Parts: sequence; structure tokens; C-alpha cells
Amino acid sequence: MIELDRVRIRHEGAQAWTPDGVSFAIAPGEVVLLLGPSGSGKSTLALALNGLIPHEVPAELAGTVTVDGELTTDRSVAQLSEHVGMVFQDPDSQLVTGTLLDEVCFGPENLLVPLPEVLARAERALRRVGLWERRGDNPDLLSGGGRQRLAIACALALESPLIVLDEPTANLDPAGIDEVYAALAEVVAGGERSILLVEHNLDAAIDLVDRVVVIDREGRVAVDGTVDAVLREGTDALAALGVWIPVATMAALRLRAAGVRLDPLPLTPRELAAALDAVELPAPPPIRAYADAPTDAVISVDSLTITRRTTRILTDVSLEVARGELLAIVGVNGAGKTTLLQAIAGVVAPPRGRISTAGLDPARADARTLARHVGFVFQNPEHQFIRHTVAEELAHGLELQHLPADVIAARVDGMLDRFGLAHLRDVHPFLLSGGQKRRLSVGTALIAGAPVLALDEPTFGQDRERAAELLDILTQLNAEGTTVLIITHNLQLVAEHATSVAVMRGGRLLAQHPTALALRGNLLEEAGLRHPPLGQAMRALTRHDAWRGISRLRDLP
Amino acid sequence: MGAVNPYAEAVDHGPVRFLHRLNPLSKLFAPLPAMVLVILTRDVGTPLTFILLAMVLLLIGAHLDGRLALMLFVALPLAVAFLSLSFGIWTDRERVPVGDDVFSLGDYAFTTAMWLAGLGTALRLGAVLVLGLVAGATSTGAELVRSLVQQLRVPYRIGYTALAAFRFVPRFGHELEVIRSAHRVRGMIGGRGPVAGARRYLGYVVPLLAGAIRHAERIALAMDARAFGAHPTRTERHIVRFRARDWVFMALFWAVTAALFVLVPRLE
Repeated sequence: MIELDRVRIRHEGAQAWTPDGVSFAIAPGEVVLLLGPSGSGKSTLALALNGLIPHEVPAELAGTVTVDGELTTDRSVAQLSEHVGMVFQDPDSQLVTGTLLDEVCFGPENLLVPLPEVLARAERALRRVGLWERRGDNPDLLSGGGRQRLAIACALALESPLIVLDEPTANLDPAGIDEVYAALAEVVAGGERSILLVEHNLDAAIDLVDRVVVIDREGRVAVDGTVDAVLREGTDALAALGVWIPVATMAALRLRAAGVRLDPLPLTPRELAAALDAVELPAPPPIRAYADAPTDAVISVDSLTITRRTTRILTDVSLEVARGELLAIVGVNGAGKTTLLQAIAGVVAPPRGRISTAGLDPARADARTLARHVGFVFQNPEHQFIRHTVAEELAHGLELQHLPADVIAARVDGMLDRFGLAHLRDVHPFLLSGGQKRRLSVGTALIAGAPVLALDEPTFGQDRERAAELLDILTQLNAEGTTVLIITHNLQLVAEHATSVAVMRGGRLLAQHPTALALRGNLLEEAGLRHPPLGQAMRALTRHDAWRGISRLRDLP
Repeated sequence: MGAVNPYAEAVDHGPVRFLHRLNPLSKLFAPLPAMVLVILTRDVGTPLTFILLAMVLLLIGAHLDGRLALMLFVALPLAVAFLSLSFGIWTDRERVPVGDDVFSLGDYAFTTAMWLAGLGTALRLGAVLVLGLVAGATSTGAELVRSLVQQLRVPYRIGYTALAAFRFVPRFGHELEVIRSAHRVRGMIGGRGPVAGARRYLGYVVPLLAGAIRHAERIALAMDARAFGAHPTRTERHIVRFRARDWVFMALFWAVTAALFVLVPRLE
């Protein structure tokens, strides 16, 4: 089907080859999961499979990629598209037409497939992903998960025997992830397509996969084998490589250290629950309580209602956040999370007299004063960069406060050190790596001394490693006294790091509880969310009642 | 949602609303001579005639929604009236015939001849607009692109890329909105006035452009991955025809244009 032989790729202007000598083959009908730490070249490798590298992307390819017996270098991307279909990460940047039907027909039309056959293929593909009924709609009307299913249908319509999916769920909310994997399961069930899946979210992918290929940090194949051999037996090796391990497996490893042996190692919440039900367990350690109940509120919102044009976005939201909390705001898309956070931080002026943020009414305060009291970090850090070097970017907020130059210099140096950006002080912010940009945006929000930091989905579209790195920074800031408000879809991160959780649905606040309490009942289901993997497993236990409330790894023995 | 969906499929509104059944190119080329004539004339009668012609045509042959009808029959006459005054005031009195004073302010006198000159200019603008609406109000972006590709042999790579670019518009609007609020949060107020405003907008350009280039690159890869540009032609699911009725429409329109131009009094 497809065969890679010692593939090395170097992007124009880069020094290192990543991947660096990767060889493997995919057989017809096989579903292969490609794993590796950030920067190991997984996405780059994906681009080489249908010839985008070297034909379209400026990069050097050494070694060979053979598709159905011919070298990719000998054929055009268009010819290869009949053999290899591609689904990219961002659902928005792969749609080009105005209706679902036009979109799915686009590929076959380009290939000069006869008209009746184009329509037949389009119908088959759209039915496979459950979108046939919506064929006349504009793709903009679909949810993120729906658009990604459409992208899968587009790849199906090319009738290529291999489909490559490059992190297809990284930009989706939990409901969207479920949708996409349900659609992929349908495709796999058909049995006639091979699939190469690049994915961090093992919890969702694992059920579909036949084989796992792991690339190490240097871009070489570290392990290649069945799911059992690679994930169950080679877990320690994976952890050493910096590959993200399923939460259920991490929990089992932790339990093993505490003397509870689960054999074979569970990979999914379902397997973990079954394995735990099959053994005797000691009483769980008491769930570690958080610091005392909130005392002095640093943020208070009093029956806030916001209407834009004629649409009611927030209805009667009241909440209090105590100094030093790390509050996670969760809910499905459209629940009003961003509107609430932007109102609290004064990004969009709220109605007067409803909100107090660090002693200010964001409706009345000017931007300069507000910046001293609350920092706001946008989803895409690039949006908020306004200066030409990293150091200037940090100094900006202080210059607006008219502080003396030596004070500014000292504080900028301190911030550069703290976020590991000192060696990059004269670099243009847009030239930083993704993780560095994120750290800089947090630094700029904090430097004016704001006691409150608000972040709108800062982990969106980022891999696990970067998401965890950011949450570690926030946890540390939080420990030093900064109050943190964060919107995120990653509920396992919420479980591990947040002190309290605000759950929203349809513009209303369903509840605001300490994390352990919020994750215990049916609150998340009521909001249309799903429990994080560990919580799912523990709630599925039929024995061990005492264990069922656990949702954080650190609450395990 | 946005006001106009460039991808909307053409809707058939029955045989009376015949404009919707014509090829967009015939609706584009039919009024072209009239537009040229209108631009070249200096009188009031010619543009007025063609405005009325196009309005009657749209009233009968087009399915007008409330917004468009309002614009055509209320906003347009008001705009012409207003523009006739403002153009008239700028008219050099030495270059128009002597006329009666409409009003005078000290040395300055506004004469009927000046107003007529202004009215002529305003009507010419209005006529070009209404003649353009014969095609604009009755065809969709997708239709136009398809007939450009199928009848005029414009390379489909250009046509369909242009159509794909329509998707960029709402996306950039949204992105600009986000960047503006992000900069506001950073304290990019920078004072009032046009200079500060211009500098503020300049600050939006870099992040907007960086996002746009990345987005365009991704779109291009996604299109390549689906064989865009593989062959000189592609399968056309929607055949746009140029029928006899399109020729008839164009010929009639041209004939009427010529007749009106000859017969209608100049009204200077």
C-alpha cells in the first residue's frame, strides 16, 4: 500500500532532519497510530505521504516514499490524491466551497470523474459520516466536529485506499471529538481503507487502532508493534520518550507503585474500571481537601445579564471568586463562557455596577487602570502582540504606567528569566515557537502586577505537552497568590489543577463548586459535558463504592 | 450570519421573474452599451430613461426582497436628490447656461442650471448602479464564476480560487474583531484623532497578515491534496447554459437601448 524507506525531511532553513530515517509500511485495511513527542516530525511525515512534501512545501526529502509501487517524487500531488486522502487539523482551513455537497464533490470533480459517479461517491461518503441529510447546508452552519466529519467525507470521496489524518481532533471540544471518532469507527468498520492516524488523544483513538508506530525526539522510529506490545508492555519506554500515555494507564502505573497490580495494563477508562472490579482494593486515601473555604472575594459578579443585538448571551449569572483560587469555567460551545470571562476582565464593556474585579468595575475603568488589576490572555497569543521585540513587548504594560526606566528594566529582566525567554529578548514575538509565544503572552498579562489572570481556552489546538506545561505555570502562579480564571475543554487538566469549577449551560451558571465536588455528581452531564477519563473509569466501577468519587490522579494511593 | 451568501444556489422564481432564468453573462453584457452611453452623455433625460428602464425590468423580472426594493425605490431616489444638490453646488457657474436663481447667499447664487448639471451627474451614477443591479440582484457568485469558466473560458483555477476566497471574508472580519479587543486590553489606546487611529490600524495589520498567510497556505495544501488543478478542465456538475433566450435578451436590450437613445429628448 505505502512504504517508507529511511525517510528524512528537512524544512527549508532548518538545521535538523525531523523525521530522521523513518521506515515502515502500511498494509491494506490496516489502521496505524503514529505517536511521538512534540517536534519529532509527525505532521511533517504526514505531509510526505501524499507528496505535498517535496512538491508543494519547501522542504528537502531524502529516502523514499512508495505509494502503490511508485515513488511520490515521480508523481504529482494530484495523481497521488487518488491513492492517499488527507484530513488536516483545522476544520476551517480545508473547506473551499459553499455547500456540503459541493465540498465532497470538489475532489472527484478535479479528477474528472464522470458526473454520475461523482454524485454516487458524494452520497456514499456523506452517508458514511452521517451528513447526507445536510448536503445543501453551508459548512459554516456545522459544528467543529461536523466540519471535521465533512473533511473525512471529502477524503473518502477521493476513493483513495489510504487516508491520513493529522491530529483531526486537536481543535475540537469533547462532543466534537466523540463525533469524529464515531465517524472514523464507521470508516474502519467498512474495512476497505487503510488509515494512518497522528493523534495525541489516545483515549479516543485506541479502540480503532491495529498497530502503533512511535517516533522519538530525534525523529527515528523507536517502537513499531501492536497496541498490546507498544502500549501495554512498553509503557515505561513510552513515558521515557515523552509520549503522552493514556490517563487510564497512568492511573494503573500509579496503583502498581502502591501495590495494586493490574495485568494487563488498562488503556481506556472502560478497561481500567473492569480491571479494578476484578481485584481487591484497599480503602482509598482520603480525598485531599483544598485550603479553607473562600473568604475574601477578589471577583464578584452579581446577576449579570448580557444581550448582544437581540440575542441573550448571559442570563442572571452570579459568582464569587476568592483570592488565590484557580477557577475553571467549563461548558459546551455557546454556553457563554467567553462572554462571562471577557466581561469580568473588561475586554468587552459589561453593564455597569454588576461586576467587581480586584476592586474595580470593569465597566467604568479605563484600559490602563484595568491592566494593573486584571490580565487577559487570548486564545491565539499572536493577536495580542503589539511591539517588535520580546523585551519591548513585556515593557509595554509598564511604560503605559509611566514607571521609571530602571524599574521597567528590572521587572522585564525578572519576567524574561521566570518564563525562560531571556536568550530571546531581542527576537520578534512572531518568530517565537508556539510554547514560547504562549509564555510571553502570559508574561505580558502579568507584568503590570495584575492580581487576577484570565485565560480564554489557552490550551486549544495545543498538544498535551504544551497544555500541561502551561497549566504547571498557572498552578505555580496560583500558589504565589495570583487568582486565575481559565476556560478550557480539557477536563482532566481541570480535575488535576483547578481549585473550583464553574459549569455553564445556555448562558446560565449551573453551579460553582470546589473541583472535587463539581466532578462528583451529575453536574457535567447536565451541562452536556463528559467526565474526564479517570472520573469515567471510577464512576463505572460496580464494586469499590469508596473509590467512585475519585477523578484526580493525585487522589489515588 | 452575513448578509450575502456568495455560494447561494440560484432560486427559480417562476417564468415571470425571467431575469433569474438568464445566464449571468447576458445580464452583464446586455446593459453594458447603455452604461457607456450614460457615462458619455451630459444631459438629464438619458440617465433618467435608463434608470426607469432598469427599474421596470427589475420590478417585473426580478424577485426583489424588502431590503433591495427599499434601496431601489426609496434610498436611490433620495440619494440622487441629495447628490444633485451637492454636485450642483460644486458646479462652476461660468460653465453652465444662465438660469433662474433657486436661492442666493450674498455673492453666491445657486441657479436652476447648476442644479440641472448636478442632477445629471447624480442620475448618471444612479443609472450605472441600477443597470448593474440587473445582473447583480438576480445572479449568485457561484453562477457567475461557473459561466465565466464555462462560457468565457476563464481558467477554472482562477475562478474557483476566487470563489474559495469568499470564505476568507467573514473569517477575517472575526479575526480583526478579536485582534482589536486584544490590543485594547493591552492598553493600545494611543489617543484620539486620525493619526493615532491610523497607527492603531497599522498595528492590526501584522497579526492579521500573519494569520491570513498561514490560513491561505493551509487552504492551498488542502486544495492540492484534493487534486485541485490536476487537469486543464474539471467535471462540471452545474452546467450553465447560454441559451437562445440569452441572445434574444441581449439583442432586445441593445435594440431598446439604441431606440431610447435616439428617441428620448435630451432635456438639457
